[in-house]
Amino acid sequence: MIELKNIEKYYSSKGIKHYVLRHVTTTIKQGEFVSIMGPSGSGKSTLLNILGMLEEPTYGTFEFLGEDVTSLNERKRIELYRNHIGFVFQAYHLIDEMTVYENIEAPLLYKKVGSSERASRIANLLDKFNIVAKKDLFPNQLSGGQQQLVGIARALATQPSIILADEPTGNLQSAQAEEIMQLFQKLNKEEGITIIQVTHSEKNATYGNRILNIQDGVIKEDSPTQAPQMGGVV
Amino acid sequence: MFKLNLKIAWRNLWKNKGYTFINILGLSIGMASCILIFIFIRYQMSFDEGFKNENRIYRVVSSWAYNDGNQFFSQGVPLPLTPAMRNDFSPYIEKISAIENSVGLIKINNVAGKEQLKAIENVFYVEPDFFEIFNYNWLSGNYASLKNPNSVVLSKEMAEKFFGNWKNALGKNINYEGNLNYTVTGIIDDVAENNSVPLKIMLSYKSFKDRNLEKWGSVGSNSESYFKLKPNVNIETLNGPLKSFLKKYYTEKAPGKEGHIFQPLSDIHYNDKFGNFSGRIMPIKQLYGLGVIGFFLIITASINFINLATAQAISRSKEVGVRKVMGSQRSQLVTQFLTETLTIVLISVLIGSVLTEIALPGMQSLFDAKISFSIFQHPIILVFMLLLVVFVSLLAGFYPAIVMSGFNPALAIKNKISANTGGLGLRKILVVVQFTITVTLIIGTLVILQQMKYIREQPLGFNPTAIAMVDLLNDSLKTQRFATFKTQLKQVPGIKEVSFCRTAPSSQNNNGSTFSYNGGKDADFQVNTKNADEDYLKTFDLKLVAGRNLVKSDTTNEYMVNETLLKKLNIRNPNEAIGKMISMGDMKAPIVGVIQDFKNKSLHETIDPILIGSLKPRYFYAAIKLNSKQITGTMKVVEEIWQNTFPESVYNQSFLDDQINAYYQGEKIMGTLFKVFAGVIIFISFIGLFGLISFVATQRTKEVAIRKVLGASTIELVKMLNGSFLVMVFIANLVAWPLAYLFVSKWLNGFAYRIEISIWPFALAMLISMAITLITVSIRSYKAAVANTIDALKYE
Ligand SMILES: Nc1ncnc2c1ncn2[C@@H]1O[C@H](COP(=O)(O)OP(=O)(O)OP(=O)(O)O)[C@@H](O)[C@H]1O
Ligand SMILES: [Mg+2]
Repeated sequence: MIELKNIEKYYSSKGIKHYVLRHVTTTIKQGEFVSIMGPSGSGKSTLLNILGMLEEPTYGTFEFLGEDVTSLNERKRIELYRNHIGFVFQAYHLIDEMTVYENIEAPLLYKKVGSSERASRIANLLDKFNIVAKKDLFPNQLSGGQQQLVGIARALATQPSIILADEPTGNLQSAQAEEIMQLFQKLNKEEGITIIQVTHSEKNATYGNRILNIQDGVIKEDSPTQAPQMGGVV
Repeated sequence: MFKLNLKIAWRNLWKNKGYTFINILGLSIGMASCILIFIFIRYQMSFDEGFKNENRIYRVVSSWAYNDGNQFFSQGVPLPLTPAMRNDFSPYIEKISAIENSVGLIKINNVAGKEQLKAIENVFYVEPDFFEIFNYNWLSGNYASLKNPNSVVLSKEMAEKFFGNWKNALGKNINYEGNLNYTVTGIIDDVAENNSVPLKIMLSYKSFKDRNLEKWGSVGSNSESYFKLKPNVNIETLNGPLKSFLKKYYTEKAPGKEGHIFQPLSDIHYNDKFGNFSGRIMPIKQLYGLGVIGFFLIITASINFINLATAQAISRSKEVGVRKVMGSQRSQLVTQFLTETLTIVLISVLIGSVLTEIALPGMQSLFDAKISFSIFQHPIILVFMLLLVVFVSLLAGFYPAIVMSGFNPALAIKNKISANTGGLGLRKILVVVQFTITVTLIIGTLVILQQMKYIREQPLGFNPTAIAMVDLLNDSLKTQRFATFKTQLKQVPGIKEVSFCRTAPSSQNNNGSTFSYNGGKDADFQVNTKNADEDYLKTFDLKLVAGRNLVKSDTTNEYMVNETLLKKLNIRNPNEAIGKMISMGDMKAPIVGVIQDFKNKSLHETIDPILIGSLKPRYFYAAIKLNSKQITGTMKVVEEIWQNTFPESVYNQSFLDDQINAYYQGEKIMGTLFKVFAGVIIFISFIGLFGLISFVATQRTKEVAIRKVLGASTIELVKMLNGSFLVMVFIANLVAWPLAYLFVSKWLNGFAYRIEISIWPFALAMLISMAITLITVSIRSYKAAVANTIDALKYE
């Protein structure tokens, strides 16, 4: 579903190009659970942002669902956000002024989903993530882990085919992190959602089925995770 | 500590350059407007001030109450009133003096007896007692000389005009109106412009001759009377004696019941019921109106300040928290924030002063007055500016300071102060208040302009274009030359018609008389009598509805009347009036024609009942209808003929169009003021709005970014950011409508001919305000919506 060919990204300052990504070429298929790893500053977030069309590569081609999206017009991009891509952020990025319920509802409103359909989807998600009791609370009344659950619920609301997550557990304690990772794994296994996450944690990476290791903007290693990790986790 | 505060204030202002700029821009324009309004009001309030015992000085004015409920007023008094009051009111009055205004030809001869200077001037006949009432600054001579006839006192300006140097003027002679020489016996310093009696040339009252000197039944606005009360006498105690005074002297039966009012000197400049010799009147209500507008301006600018300051408060919450933890007291924080406000206000008042200086010439020409912005001459202006600074600093600075200093340090440090702190609700209310003011002013301006246009386009019932009114001289010697003069004028190619008349159809010079119709008893209203020759109808394009024009005559043999007169007499059919007799005193003549109604005064007033008859000695003007393509050339020829006809006098002309336009000078000024101040308020409100939306957009950058990745389109984001602003402005419109309605209907009531209030100015004001709001906020929110969002999400 994703084809990257020779992606390059640099920032130039004072005429000198600082490369963040170089010759990144890879394919990610439907249903994969990919973890991007690498040292700080190696370009992981940049790569994920390019995948999420939040940034444009300076060179190379990027195909999403067979379509060249290297430089996409705004309408098309919004279209993809509404129907195919869900984001999960390290800092959750919930809207402070809206309740849990309203946060999850927001993308559905933009997608113009009918109200009864909306209500049932949100009810489903609240139920699935065990946050029904919290639906009328505001983000600052929740713990970090709970906020991230809401963030994921929101990402899932539009039933995207892919979730992009930049260090989704970076701000969480390990117990909460584990819960999130299990959730990702379940979504990937049971609902076939493609997941691409950036993570620093080896352990988190084991929940996925493929690891892209980036160093200095170059993919150093592209390997499947050690099976079988499913064990008794779920 | 203060120095440190100032330094921090300066840094903070610099850091938030954009908001600081908006604040200073709004405040300085607002303050400049306020200062302009203040110096104008100060100038107006300075009229007739500075005389010794000024609160004991009064003017006697006249009133008539008619049976039909109408009341008329005059600034003048019957000529015998002054001597009678001097006698009858002596227990209460220290001094009383008559003063008579007149216009005439002044001639100055040089030593050799040759004519050296000839000019038409405004003169006053005054009694010496006038100078016991008003203490002027005497440069030389004294007023005792005015006891004798043929003395004249000059102002310095006139003395210099006539004799070069005022020091040479004493003892010299001037000739007034050909027949009398006056000797200069005194010089006074120039009377300032802000005086209701613009004394320049003062002749002995003893030299004033008038056939009405003994008549109680005749009042002209040229004859005023002033008195000074004895110390410790209450003006109320004069009411009793006044009653018996009226009974004693007004013995003849007249349709209007005579009365007199003692008008305090301090009221003369503001009371538009009566005129005064300077012709300058400023109704106190208009001054209040201006004051209110000034107040609104400063409120609007202060609201900008409050809104931007409280909006910024959140971004400064951390600073507050840290300072509190370091041990700062709340009062110290308040002082610090107020110092910032004070800095801005001081910068604004300086810029505002510069703007005032720039706008001053425009203001002076608008009001035709020498309004001064000299704080040395008038230290009160400086006091006002200081008060303004203090007022604005407190009004604008206090609330934000309280909000900011009140942050809970723990929350503040954790940056947990939410966006709603600092009174989001209050901010909304203030924006609504601000726009209520703005929209009210827009509606007011639209209605005023609409009414002015309506007045301009009102059919007058006659045609005033291209008509020159040339002064005639009408003593018995000169009226003999009228016929030749008219014949000569009619031969000039650029002249279409000529009519000799007392006044134009529309004039501020009106003459009311008692009359009876068809042998009945005196009508219970007065008729406005105009005198004119047989060419009057043609010249002014007046229409007859019945009967015929006057036949050429030098005396009153027949009358034409207007429709209003018949209406007032309850005559339906104009033909019925033809042939009926009109008696006025010992004159009696039949009605031969009925003229279609024409507007004979400003449109503030309704049409008078009018009577027109020929009477040669009452022709004060030659009305000359010109070919509008060659006015200037023709008028030169007219002047030449005039000079040849009346070589002993000075030519004077004016155009009827200009005279009629002058009726609406006040409204024109009002319209200009409203346009300017509405513009200023709109500007201030909208830069404030721009500041607020900028703030909101910045504050919501992250939210915009999140929504974008959730699939929001640019339009949806712009709508989201704009929404509350449009709602606020909409609510402001709803609040403004009834307020504006009250205001404009009150204003329109002052016109006899007025537009009906329609929905349009209101709808248009809403459209304008909503459209400008939409544009203002959209510019900024569009920028926010298309900005590269990723930076807002990337790093935390
Ligand atoms: N706008 C920018 N201008 C200049 N350099 C940038 C910009 N954005 C990112 N970089 C640089 O690009 C490099 C890669 O950044 P990126 O955020 O992708 O790293 P990362 O692998 O996600 O690191 P971390 O693990 O710390 O999140 C860094 O060296 C960063 O300094
Ligand atoms: Mg990163």
